[in-house]
Amino acid sequence: MALDFKASVMWESVPLLLGGVHLTIIITLGGLAIGFLLGTATGLAKTARGKLPRALADIYVEAIRGTPLIVQVMFLYFGVPLATGMRIPPVTAGIIAIAVNSGAYIAEIVRGAVESIDVGQTEAGRSIGLTRMQTMLHVVWPQAFRRMIPPLGNQFIISLKDTSLLVVIGVGELTRQGQEIIAVNFRAFEVWLTVAVMYLVMTLSIARVLRIYERKLNARFGR
Amino acid sequence: MKTCETPMIEIRNLHKRFGQNEVLRGIDLTVCPGEVVVIIGPSGSGKSTALRCINRLEEITSGKVIVDGHDLYDPATDINYVRTEAGMVFQQFNLFPHMCVLDNVTLGPIRVRRTPRAEADRLGLALLEKVGLADKATAYPDQLSGGQKQRVAIARSLAMQPKVLLFDEPTSALDPELVGEVLEVMRALALEGMTMVIVTHEMGFAREVADRVIFIDQGRIQEEGPPDEFFGAPKNPRLREFLGRVRHA
Repeated sequence: MALDFKASVMWESVPLLLGGVHLTIIITLGGLAIGFLLGTATGLAKTARGKLPRALADIYVEAIRGTPLIVQVMFLYFGVPLATGMRIPPVTAGIIAIAVNSGAYIAEIVRGAVESIDVGQTEAGRSIGLTRMQTMLHVVWPQAFRRMIPPLGNQFIISLKDTSLLVVIGVGELTRQGQEIIAVNFRAFEVWLTVAVMYLVMTLSIARVLRIYERKLNARFGR
Repeated sequence: MKTCETPMIEIRNLHKRFGQNEVLRGIDLTVCPGEVVVIIGPSGSGKSTALRCINRLEEITSGKVIVDGHDLYDPATDINYVRTEAGMVFQQFNLFPHMCVLDNVTLGPIRVRRTPRAEADRLGLALLEKVGLADKATAYPDQLSGGQKQRVAIARSLAMQPKVLLFDEPTSALDPELVGEVLEVMRALALEGMTMVIVTHEMGFAREVADRVIFIDQGRIQEEGPPDEFFGAPKNPRLREFLGRVRHA
């Protein structure tokens, strides 16, 4: 049976799907903002001198990287409340899941970038009397941050797409909205195609914005 | 061994081991205020390591390093403060590539000394003038030649108004035609009475500027003396061999 493609279905689904886009963006931005802080703290802990912060950071990163996000999400939403007696609203659970998950990967990005900066930079900073902290803040971090942008962009795109897994806890993000529309009109081809295009527009926008930002930073290096 | 009432640098029985490899096997060195000491020696002799210990860029195995009365390896010593008293100039310059030349120079005064920016800028520009680079204040390190970078690095060290300047092979990464401009700046500093310890392979410069030359080999000071004596009548056979090789290189 040939597909009876109706472009009008795509247009009609747009307003409903935009509600999902809105939620997808909120969860992505919220999750990544917290994930970046978490990842930075964890990544720096991995470069620390003390054994304890390094060990804690390792446990966190390995636990998250070694388990599927969908399991993490369901554990957080269905499992944790049984232990704590406190239900977490789905969107909040989604943001936490994305934050904790992306944080583990961002930690590796941060550690890699910080360790890639020549030790001579640190020595030069320390030799003019800067403290360890000041050297990180004024000398190492600005250079490391620039190197983090491409891999961070990657992670941002992955996390955005990962929000689609939140369908399993009933968060009304883009994928969930698509499902719900199809449940009514049975137009799987048109609706999933529209959903895919919307994800694509978002991921391409992230890549675009980061490339512009990177170019801006490079210009400040006089390059 | 040199003596003076209040030595600027005093190193006593310094040992440094990297794993099984004992790089420094008991270094004793006293540097007096205003003195220019040049350290030479074959690669791997420990000369750079010894120099880096004077700024505690290395942890030591045993011994004492005292800079201007501060025991560097005493846990009670404020190492960040002592480091401002001994500036370090590196072989690879280690300028901060994300800052313009002036910001490289003023970072220390602003962040460590809490000098107001306007005053730090004035100081920075004066120092850039001194090393002949006032016109490069807004340039970025990547836009400079090696010789210019090293002169900025010297200005950056001077900005902390250190009592000692340490140079770790400051001209070894430079194209031959750029060595002169860096040595020129160092010569001027020596004439001003700056206390300097210089690890270098520039024998001509050592002969001309040093008050004392030191030969380190196999982790020990093998010979030291004023340049005329040191280069004119070297006693240590290893030094004679080393000088022979350097001259014919």
